[in-house]
Amino acid sequence: MAHSISTTPLIPPHRSIERRAESRRRARQCALAGLLLLAALLAPAVSGAREYLQLFVTAPYLELHTGPGRGYPVFSVVPRDGSVDVLFRRTDWFKVRTERGVEGWASQGDMERTVLADGTPFRYPRGDLAGFTSHRFELGVFAGAWGGANYISGYWSVSFNPQLALEVAGGQFLGRYSNGYTGDIGFAHVILPESRWSPFLTIGGGEVHTEPKATLVQPADRTEPSAYVGGGVRFYLTRRFFLRAEFKAHWIFTSRNQNEEADEWKAGFAFFF
Amino acid sequence: MESGIRVLLLTAGLAALSTLSGCATVRSWFHHRPASTDAANQPAPDESEQPSVIEPQVARRTVKVAKIRSSNIELGAEYGALSIEDFGTHPVYGFTAAYHITEDFFFQGEWGRATAGRTSYEVLSGNVALLTQAERRFTYYDLSLGYNFLPGEAFIGRGVAMTSAFYLLGGIGGTDFGGDTKFTVNFGAGYRVVPRDWLAVHVTVQDHIFQSDVIGITKLTNNLEARIGTTVFF
Repeated sequence: MAHSISTTPLIPPHRSIERRAESRRRARQCALAGLLLLAALLAPAVSGAREYLQLFVTAPYLELHTGPGRGYPVFSVVPRDGSVDVLFRRTDWFKVRTERGVEGWASQGDMERTVLADGTPFRYPRGDLAGFTSHRFELGVFAGAWGGANYISGYWSVSFNPQLALEVAGGQFLGRYSNGYTGDIGFAHVILPESRWSPFLTIGGGEVHTEPKATLVQPADRTEPSAYVGGGVRFYLTRRFFLRAEFKAHWIFTSRNQNEEADEWKAGFAFFF
Repeated sequence: MESGIRVLLLTAGLAALSTLSGCATVRSWFHHRPASTDAANQPAPDESEQPSVIEPQVARRTVKVAKIRSSNIELGAEYGALSIEDFGTHPVYGFTAAYHITEDFFFQGEWGRATAGRTSYEVLSGNVALLTQAERRFTYYDLSLGYNFLPGEAFIGRGVAMTSAFYLLGGIGGTDFGGDTKFTVNFGAGYRVVPRDWLAVHVTVQDHIFQSDVIGITKLTNNLEARIGTTVFF
C-alpha cells in the first residue's frame, strides 16, 4: 500500500490529462442524457389528436383492469350497450375510455364480445396456431455456430403468403482466429405452414465481413459476397412464440484462388406479429 | 458428407421455388386479390319478372373503422455503474430497445459503453499499462429475452398508482474489450415502474459473463452492472 502511494508523484502529467479527459467524457454523457430526457418528454406532445375506434358492449358487462395483465384488479365495468373508445393496444390488452371518461385495460378475449357501430363483431388477430400459420412479420434471435465460431444472430421476415417469406438476417461470429459480421437476404419457403412442426427451405445471398486476429499471416479485414442454401424447422410454442432451428450452407466468393465454404447452425426464439 | 448435405439442400430449394405453391400464389401477395369476377357469370335478371311497386331507396352507411395504435416498443437510455473484473467499477451509459410480445415476455436489445480503469498491478507498478486507452473502452451489446415475473402496482400516497413489474433477463451478445470481441452471456433482473402509459423508469442489475485473456490467463469474467434508465413506449 505504501508502495502505491510513493509512486503517485512520479506521474502527475499523466494523471491530469486523464482527469481532463474524464471530465470531458462525463460532460458529454450528461449532455446526451439530458437530450434523451427532453426527447422523451416531448414525444407524446407531438402525437396530436386522433380518431379512436368506438365499440359497443354486447356481453352483460366489460371488465376494466388497472393494468395490462391478467393479475391487475378489475376496478370498473361497462354495462351492455355501453360504448368505449379504444385508445391503443399493448400486447393482448386494449386501453379503453368509457363514455364517462374512465380509462382502463380490457383483455382481447373480452373485447371480442363487442361490436362496431354497424353491428359487425370486433375481431383482432390473435396469437394462436392460426396466427402462426398466417401472419405478416416475424422477428427472432439465435445462438449457434458459424464456420466453427460462436454466432449471435437475429432475423426479420415479411410473409407474402403462408408459404413464402422474404427474410433479412444479420449476425456476428466470434471465433478463435477471426471475428466478423454476416448479412443475408433471401427467401424462405414454409412447407407445412398449418402444422405445429413446419419445416422450411431457404435460399439467398449476402455479405461476410471478416476481421482476422492480429496473430495470423493475413491480418487485413475483408468483405466478401456470399450465397446460401439451407433448411430448418419451426415449432409453435404458445401465443406469439415459436422455436426455430436452421442450417445454412454458405459459399463465400473470395478474390483468392479458392472460394470458401462455411456452415451455419443455429437455434433460437422467434415471434410473429 | 458436407457436400452431400449441400447438394441435397440446393436440389430441394430449387425444386421448392419452381414447383411448390409459394410461387403459384404470387398473385395474392399483400392480399391484392383481383375483384371477384363472379358477377359476370351470374344469370341475367329475368325480364319477365314483374317490377316491384315500391323501389326501396336504401343508402348503405359505410362505417369508417379507425386503426388501433399498437404501443409495444420501448426505447430509452440508461446510466449506471459497471464493475469490470480486475479493472474496477466505472460509469456506464447505454441504450435499450424492447418489444413486448405478450404481457409476460419481451425481447430486449441493449448497447452500453464504459471505460475501464487500471488493474491493481498497474497501480502498484507505476507506469506500466496493460492496455492502450482505446482498448480500455468496454462496449457490449446484448439480445435478451425478458420475463415479467412479478407484475404489480406501486403507490405514492393515496391518489397515485403506477403499474410495475419485476422482470428477469437472459440472453447472449458480444463484448468488445482489450482489443478483442468476446461471445457474452448475460442474465439479470430489473424493476420497471410505469408512471404514464408512454413512460417507464427501470432499475436493472445484469451480469455480463465472457472468457477474457486480457491479464495473461484465460478465465471466465463476471462483469456486474447496475443501472437506472428511462424508456418511452411507442
